[in-house]
Amino acid sequence: MEANSKPAIGLRTFGVVYAALAIITLVEILLADSQGGVANPALTPAFLFFSLAKASLVAAFFMHLKVDSKFYTAIFLFPAVMLLIFALLATVR
Amino acid sequence: MSTEVALHEEEFRAGRFLGIDHRKLGMWLFLGSEVMFFGGLLAAFLHYKVNNPSPVEHDLLDVTLVGINTFILLSSSFTVVLALDAAQHSKRQRLVAFLGLTILLGAAFLAGQGLEFSDLYHHGMTLSSSVYGSSFFTLTGFHGLHVLIGILWAGLTLRKGALGRFDDGKSAGVELFGLYWHFVDIVWIVLFTLIYLT
Repeated sequence: MEANSKPAIGLRTFGVVYAALAIITLVEILLADSQGGVANPALTPAFLFFSLAKASLVAAFFMHLKVDSKFYTAIFLFPAVMLLIFALLATVR
Repeated sequence: MSTEVALHEEEFRAGRFLGIDHRKLGMWLFLGSEVMFFGGLLAAFLHYKVNNPSPVEHDLLDVTLVGINTFILLSSSFTVVLALDAAQHSKRQRLVAFLGLTILLGAAFLAGQGLEFSDLYHHGMTLSSSVYGSSFFTLTGFHGLHVLIGILWAGLTLRKGALGRFDDGKSAGVELFGLYWHFVDIVWIVLFTLIYLT
């Protein structure tokens, strides 16, 4: 594994990604607090976008999927896509 | 045996055929199965949340406390990245320090979750108080169990690091642990949004 697992991503990039994750989380908390702790459906798309952005950053950079074999990405995303398909099918009556 | 076949065999035995490492492939397949595991639990939670809305119990959730916990878990992912970098550069002390920090942050996350659970139980929201409570504690409890397993794994990796097993730059053990830890982090990112923020 060592031969092909050397990071092509530098520590500075990891630091930037971590800062981005921290800022997004802070924005999420402030947005939620501004609603007095009550879920506001109007903010749901924004929260989902933030969540997707954070998960993508962790997977792409911290888990090295950005520079690793695309096969790993496919293995990881396939069950997630299947879940989405099942969820959509479940809404069809 | 031709040189090409010998090379192919060597690459295969080394687990690098087509650039795919067998151990990493195994870990990714495991993580794929974990996506289905948490997906099932999450689907059940969302089903109950939509069909049996419980705004009173949802309002008991402390977004600020859990938000801080989320930040703690994100920070632990960063320390794992730094630990892997230290292992790849054969820096034993840095590796041990960052893995130790990861364990502390993971323990802090569990302590925060314990506080949250204790507070919810104090307010009457328990595993058996309602469908919402059952699905909530099952989902977040299983995630907490994964964090606990990750902490134990980090401890074993730290021990190996302290004994110098990664001194020659062979960082596979740290990388495999890291994949698991980051996955647990991603699961929490999704849970934080779908349980607490929406």
